Amino acid sequence: MIPRRLPGSLPGQIAVLVAIALFVAQAINFTMLLRERQQVRFAEIIAPSVTRVVDAAERLTSGRFQRDRRTRVQLEPRNPIDPSARHRSDVETAIRQGLSDAGLSAGAIITRIDDVSPDDPRLKNLSAARKQRIVRRGGELHIAVEMPGRGWLVLHAPWPRTERGLIFQLLLQTLILYIVVLVPVLWAGHRIARPLNGLAQAARHFRPGEPAEPVEEAGPSDVRAVIAAFNALSLRVNAMIDEKDKMLGAIGHDLRTPLAALRVRIESVEDDEDRAKMADTIDEMNRTLDDILSLARLGRPSEPATDVDMAALIDAVVDDFQDLGANVAFEEAARLTMHLRPSLMRRAVRNLIENAVKYGGGAQVRLVPEARAVRIEVADRGPGIAPDQIALVFDPFTRLETSRNRETGGIGLGLALARAIVREAGGEITLANRDRGGLTATITLPR
Amino acid sequence: MSDTPHLLLVDDERSIREPLAQYLTKQGFRVTQCGDAESARARLNAYSIDLVILDIMMPGEDGLSLCRHIRATSETPVILLTAKSEETDRIIGLEMGADDYVVKPFSPRELAARIKVVLRRLSAGGTRQHAPESGSFSFAGWVLKTGERALVDREGVSVPLSTGEYSLLHALVTRPRQVLTRDQLLDITQGREAAAFDRAIDNQVSRLRKKIENDPKNPAIIKTVWGGGYTLSAEVTRL
Repeated sequence: MIPRRLPGSLPGQIAVLVAIALFVAQAINFTMLLRERQQVRFAEIIAPSVTRVVDAAERLTSGRFQRDRRTRVQLEPRNPIDPSARHRSDVETAIRQGLSDAGLSAGAIITRIDDVSPDDPRLKNLSAARKQRIVRRGGELHIAVEMPGRGWLVLHAPWPRTERGLIFQLLLQTLILYIVVLVPVLWAGHRIARPLNGLAQAARHFRPGEPAEPVEEAGPSDVRAVIAAFNALSLRVNAMIDEKDKMLGAIGHDLRTPLAALRVRIESVEDDEDRAKMADTIDEMNRTLDDILSLARLGRPSEPATDVDMAALIDAVVDDFQDLGANVAFEEAARLTMHLRPSLMRRAVRNLIENAVKYGGGAQVRLVPEARAVRIEVADRGPGIAPDQIALVFDPFTRLETSRNRETGGIGLGLALARAIVREAGGEITLANRDRGGLTATITLPR
Repeated sequence: MSDTPHLLLVDDERSIREPLAQYLTKQGFRVTQCGDAESARARLNAYSIDLVILDIMMPGEDGLSLCRHIRATSETPVILLTAKSEETDRIIGLEMGADDYVVKPFSPRELAARIKVVLRRLSAGGTRQHAPESGSFSFAGWVLKTGERALVDREGVSVPLSTGEYSLLHALVTRPRQVLTRDQLLDITQGREAAAFDRAIDNQVSRLRKKIENDPKNPAIIKTVWGGGYTLSAEVTRL
């Protein structure tokens, strides 16, 4: 009756364990009871029977045996009992032991237990009290002992068939115990499990930065304490995120202002080439600042998701790159409507293409609609990435080519931001080296 | 309006305000500067200001509130200085009647060019075009949202545009049924992001047609005018 797998829930597990424990306890009880019954049976049935048989055998050997119908032990010329599977070796052993103790030897000893049904014809002539006793015991023990050369000593005695009653008793007891114990156990388990489930639900749906309803404190005091701690934790997390956002706003403002001042001041630089380079550097710093702020704010994007034509989105990004003279090609794709945050997704696609242009000198972009997902592939013919480094490039501020200058190195934020955006939309970015050199970055989005 | 336009530059950051005033003065403007909204109001009353350059983020009364005040009391054009993260502020500012905006860090040259465009528009037309940048334009089943720079179709699906496509479409939509030569289109669109828009106008037009026309080979919305240029032939409604 042990289940193949324990149920997962707390009340289920407690119930199963308690049930098993109860069953084991009942089994031990039952065994002890059975043993006691056996001892009683030995004392009440087997010992007297043995004594009777030995006594009769002694009398038979010494020639004092009387054929009397009224005595229990009868002498028969032949064995009247068919040997059967239902023999009692303990009784046979006891008789043989008794006979040998008395210095007698016997031939075959045969025993057999028969059930006695209430309408047994042999019971008809018996007194009501005796009949009832035999029926209650439920069985009859037949003993036949071969006295070599003299015939068979035969004895019939009532035999209690108590095991059946015991099993019934055990089942009833166990059932009562189960009801009495399991109902409160299940109730207690439920009282613990329900608030815990609510807590798990709240923890799963917890979105940092979004004010959430505190979880209702219910259940036993220790569970209440856990829920209270969780509520306090979520408040603290949100407070920290608010603080972070304020800080980032301040950082953004405080860094942009000197950048803007610098941008105004370089206009007085006479050398055109110098001035253009300075302006580029300032633009680059500004873009990096944008990336940092976007990455840090991504947990709570302000842009709502709308229906967007994905093909047009990629086409627009690619067009912007082509306008800047970059070698980026997009295989024209059919209109494909998806529900997402357009500027963020534009940013993700742009960052991937930007990397391909930086490291691979150009990009081929493809939009591949599938049954349940959409793939956006950005492939280049650059040097690719060593396989053991692929996981590393997603870490913010990781840059593989540390020796290169900023122009080609970037700050390593681009991929991290792209992945954060795509993951926020429920998708994933993967990188793979191409067969004949180069890298393919693939955005997979659920449809 | 006197020969040298008089600008009021309002920014709490001296490190930006002072060199910018210097640069604009060199470009032939008369520049009055101040660091907060209160003194800006005083200057507006004291002088005849032709254009206000206004920082949105200022301690005390912010730029948006001052912009609202200027719009309520005068016809003086306003150009906003914004940070990119203040996108919603920028949209609100345009809706409140600002004439243009530049995003920090901006190129002083670009700002000077924008100032000239706004002033020219005013002196030429006499009446100020009310916030040409802001709002949405509906034409031929499409809606061009300037705030989000998005083109939305009948079913509400947004069709993203590249910078070049957006500039061109915006130029056409704000001048419906006018024939615009390639030169004019280049002028109008280059005022915005010059670097991002140096490909041939024809190329951008054909890209746009692919996105918005039912039959790009037989265009019904952006029509080619023989020997002239392009025109938006659809009815445009301002939303």
